Amino acid sequence: MGLAIDVRDLRKSFGDFEALKGTTFSVEESEIFGLIGPNGAGKTTTLRVLGTLISPTSGVAEVFGHDVVKEAGKIREILSYLPEDAGAYQYLSGEEYLRFMAGFYARERSAVEEMVQAGKDISGLGDRLKDRVNGYSRGMKRRLLIARALMIKPKLAILDEPTSGLDVIQAYHVRGMIKDYAENMGVTILVSSHNMLEVEYLCHKVALINEGNIISEGTPEELKARYNAVNLEQAFMEATQLG
Amino acid sequence: MGSFTSIVYKEIKELIRDPKILFGVVLLPLLLYPLMGQGLQISQQSVQTAIRGAQFSVYSDDKGQVAGIFVQYITTNNTITNIQATGLQDALVKFKDSNSVAMVYVPNGYSQNITDGLKGHVKIYGNLKNLNIAEASGVEVAGSLVSVYNYYYSLAMIKQLMVATGNLGDSEAIRSPLSINYASIIKGNVIEVAPSQITSVILSQSIMLPIMVMMMVIFAIQMAATSIALEKEQKTLETLMTLPVGRLTILSGKLAGSVVIAVAGSISYMIGFGYYTSSAFSFAPQLTSVDLTGVGIGIQPIGYALLGIVMFVTLVSALALAISLAVFTDSVRSAQSLTGVLIVPLIIPAMILMFSDIEMLPPAIQWIMLAIPYTHTMLATKAAFMGNYWIMMRSILYISAFTVLVLWVAAKIFSTERIITARFMSFSFRKKKRQAN
Repeated sequence: MGLAIDVRDLRKSFGDFEALKGTTFSVEESEIFGLIGPNGAGKTTTLRVLGTLISPTSGVAEVFGHDVVKEAGKIREILSYLPEDAGAYQYLSGEEYLRFMAGFYARERSAVEEMVQAGKDISGLGDRLKDRVNGYSRGMKRRLLIARALMIKPKLAILDEPTSGLDVIQAYHVRGMIKDYAENMGVTILVSSHNMLEVEYLCHKVALINEGNIISEGTPEELKARYNAVNLEQAFMEATQLG
Repeated sequence: MGSFTSIVYKEIKELIRDPKILFGVVLLPLLLYPLMGQGLQISQQSVQTAIRGAQFSVYSDDKGQVAGIFVQYITTNNTITNIQATGLQDALVKFKDSNSVAMVYVPNGYSQNITDGLKGHVKIYGNLKNLNIAEASGVEVAGSLVSVYNYYYSLAMIKQLMVATGNLGDSEAIRSPLSINYASIIKGNVIEVAPSQITSVILSQSIMLPIMVMMMVIFAIQMAATSIALEKEQKTLETLMTLPVGRLTILSGKLAGSVVIAVAGSISYMIGFGYYTSSAFSFAPQLTSVDLTGVGIGIQPIGYALLGIVMFVTLVSALALAISLAVFTDSVRSAQSLTGVLIVPLIIPAMILMFSDIEMLPPAIQWIMLAIPYTHTMLATKAAFMGNYWIMMRSILYISAFTVLVLWVAAKIFSTERIITARFMSFSFRKKKRQAN
């Protein structure tokens, strides 16, 4: 198995503020990789660089061997990116939204319909997909968006806080969707989250990020053992010496 | 469906399904203007009915024969009441309490003056109870009655004098000895039509076109700004930017979608406005029809073709400008406020050039106006009527150069991270933060 993501000494500045200060990590193909850290740690900036939305100030960021700056177009063909607070077009129905998105990844009508069907199955929204998105609850929107991100069978799915703002039941359902899909389809998934429990449940490997630096990396079990912690939350506090 | 078509289709669906846009841009002009026109028509009809049924009074202090003839003429009209009073003050009190809208007063000395070959004075009082147009118009009708009497009385006097002096001739010609005829020279051709008549015909034909262009561009600006701001407000922009589609395709798809809705809005506006003018001004006398195509006035096929290019480049530049500005906002409301600024350089040249020529303006204003690209749109629409294709070509070149510049800026914004990170607030916020530290 090769590397799905290779990030080396990645730096990103916004004016005087340095959001990433030499971030380095790598993700294996078919791995679910978690990036955890507090607000302002640099999680979203890292994901945006890998999602080809923003350019790094310096360093290397590659997705399946493609450079995020020089080969952004190639990365977009194999990538699916779900921003933290993403929305869907409120005047389209859920099904229209899925069909609109599928149209960018497939040219043949049958292939588009196949993707839309996959999206319908993943979302589990049933007949509600006929309704306009502006009538959806937050949980329904998130399920629609995750279905959109996964239905195209990307080589890499970047999910920024996939269960953000969802209640316990909705979050449980969404986590299940992601895990099942990754296991069945062998898709590489990069997840960022505040929720350590979620990361522990979902991810094969985790990187702890704070103030623009990766401070520790490993499987959830390795991290817990490394910091003699009962869970990832405690491990993170020990790693950042805040505990 | 290709990516471009897919984006255009989505844009149209999104914009047309937004109740604010569907109602505000497409349906409102179709409802509002006909209603306004109908309202004006009803009001004008009621004014005309009131004028037709208006009652007048007459009171004379002069008991002479000449004044008697005048009062007799006035009272021949059966809506006129001859007030019997002890004096002017008493007559005015009676007039005030009556339903008459005007009272013709003949003061003492009228007959003597006329007999002596001097002007006979009469005075018309208006009874303004409600201060409305019908009352003022009623007073004018009373004035017209007196003017008609004045005209025929003068002709009768001239005839009497001519008979007395043994002169032969036309009393009408003696009363008004000069007859004036007007003609105009247009593009070297003399046509027997008054210049004022020609300009009013040209104005009536050319005024609608700049209004339509202006409205279409304003709608397009609003649509484009809304389209990009909706993406930001609905938090869909980031996802859109990670799709395997060129940023310029997204930009052009958004521009095309906005143009379609803007054109629909303009058509709806023109239908509504056309209905408004036809119903609101149905009472006004129609302008004499003057065929000016024979002297090269009016839009020829080449003029239409050039005008199409002018409109296209104007629309594209306005849309690209609106999108470039809307990128810096994060809600539809703030985008529309910001792009509202763009409407100023559109409206000012349109308003000025609708009624005057650029050459009439002071040189400094001329240069400022010429620097505004949308001035050239208005100049081109005027030039299309006159067949001045060189001016149209110049306008196309200037607006195109501006369009290329604005498109370049919009493409730059779209192809870099500015589309995600740009905010007007960030600069001032950072400045404040620095000051606080």
